[in-house]
Amino acid sequence: MAILQSPAGKKTAWTLVDIFVIVYALFPVLWILSLSLKSSETLADKSFFPTDISFEHYETIFSADVSLFIRPLINSIGISVIATLIAVVLGTMAAYAIARLEFPGKRALVGVSLLIAMFPQISLISPLFEMERALGLFDTWPGLILPFVTFALPLAIYTLSAFFREIPWELEKAAKMDGATPGQAFRKVIAPLAAPGVFTTAILVFIFCWNDFLFAISLTSTENARTVPAALAFFTGASQFETPTGSLSAAAVIITIPIIVFVLFFQRRIVAGLTSGAVKG
Amino acid sequence: MTLVGERRRAADVAVRRPKTAVHLGDGRAAFRYLLPAGVLLLAVLAYPLYQLVQISLYEYNQPQASGAAPLRFLGLDNYAELVADPKFWDVLAATVVFAAVCVIGSLVVGTALAVVASRARPVPRMLLFLAALGAWATPAMAGSYVWLFLFDADLGLVNEVLSGIGFSGMEGHAWLYDRYSTFAVVAAEIIWCSFPFVMVTMYAGIKGIPAEVVDAAQLDGASWWRIATRIILPMLRPLIVIATIQSIIWDFKVFTQIYVMTNGGGVAGRNLVLNVYAYQKAFAGEEYGMGAAIGVVMTVLLLMITVLYLRAQRKAGWAP
Repeated sequence: MAILQSPAGKKTAWTLVDIFVIVYALFPVLWILSLSLKSSETLADKSFFPTDISFEHYETIFSADVSLFIRPLINSIGISVIATLIAVVLGTMAAYAIARLEFPGKRALVGVSLLIAMFPQISLISPLFEMERALGLFDTWPGLILPFVTFALPLAIYTLSAFFREIPWELEKAAKMDGATPGQAFRKVIAPLAAPGVFTTAILVFIFCWNDFLFAISLTSTENARTVPAALAFFTGASQFETPTGSLSAAAVIITIPIIVFVLFFQRRIVAGLTSGAVKG
Repeated sequence: MTLVGERRRAADVAVRRPKTAVHLGDGRAAFRYLLPAGVLLLAVLAYPLYQLVQISLYEYNQPQASGAAPLRFLGLDNYAELVADPKFWDVLAATVVFAAVCVIGSLVVGTALAVVASRARPVPRMLLFLAALGAWATPAMAGSYVWLFLFDADLGLVNEVLSGIGFSGMEGHAWLYDRYSTFAVVAAEIIWCSFPFVMVTMYAGIKGIPAEVVDAAQLDGASWWRIATRIILPMLRPLIVIATIQSIIWDFKVFTQIYVMTNGGGVAGRNLVLNVYAYQKAFAGEEYGMGAAIGVVMTVLLLMITVLYLRAQRKAGWAP
């Protein structure tokens, strides 16, 4: 306690806390990066830094059969991007109605959308599985896009309506009074004000789709629509009992680093999105 | 901020009030804007939900799914069997305790860090946020493997560090052989990826506390501890409630981490939580009816928590 009394001691104490936290938060990510860069021989050497940088695990996963990693990576990107676009468009329409229009049942609607966001997705796996098999959607892109959009929609609506409520909509009217056409008023006045909210929502929805594992393992069966999180479960080691640590690390790095870079780049907006009462999923 | 918002809304209402015709038009326009989202939710959520309840009332196993045996209506028998099964209660208890540990862990770590961040200078604060967001953004799948490898008996750094600082017995220690230490490792991963949400929320709350209030208390000679417990915590209470319930909802639904880190629920299912249990019953065990019954039970439990959440939010004035 005494150390906390003097200003200098206080400063050191806070710095120590800072360092500890940053290590706790960053260490695991840095470590898997290091693991992925070790060669097979030095993989178990337990040193934090790789002694010799080797890209052999990256080569392994990219040179293996396309169905192992490349195809799932393409699926992940394609499915997440399409699902995000659809969810943001539908979410924007719904959120605009909630923020701008008066209609009966509005409050209930917001409550319902939150209930859906909290819903245990696992419950719907069996019925969805049956439904998609009957409709021929099982193991296809739309078969994953549909549930992704559905479960991301409440999140999108909720975040967007929180943002839209803060937009000074009178400006639209003012622009029209000054002679702008409705189209101009929307493009020049409202769209720039709404863009940050829409963008933040898109990031949150994309992360939700990108991270999904449950739908991906239940609603796909081949490389046709399997995404990376599900594909990792099919990585095999040299023998059945060996964990393919190196390839898993390399694949984990590939799906993690872009997201982290993205999030850090837009951190201000994401923090705003999270504190608007948004949910992660 | 809120004042401006209030005024703006008041102005909005004042502009629109005079004509009821506008309201009618509003309703029709709102219907058009909400229609696409509504159709999708009905098709992918409401209909499967109806099917879920239906399946849970039947004997629906592999033979019935492949059409080899006729469907048999059981009424509530699946539920009766579930309630009579000690395994279900064991898994439910494990889920509750596990979620509680994760929730408390995320709240303590997240709140402590929010306090640290609010007192830090701009550069360390930015670093704190960047590190936290990095952990938050890591996909659950990748995070699970990272922590699995960290605690790995052969190549894990944790044993290395522990034996390095004197716990020589920890060399080669197999963390994932014991039920409780396995749960602990998974909880560490979950806290790691969920504290950032609590931290960001609490930080926003702390920043919202007027500096004059804290200054006045300091002038009156209040200790740091008293300021924290008597002023800051009560003012943060609504946010703490929201972050708590939100964390309960997430941690109750944990799937990926348990599934990946314990290889589908651990040896003999000793690391199962309700979510993974329902999945195992329905997919691996091919007891679709029973899996659906567990799903219904989970849905009801989560809906109850969510209703509490909505009420807490309304109290905090956060609901749109």
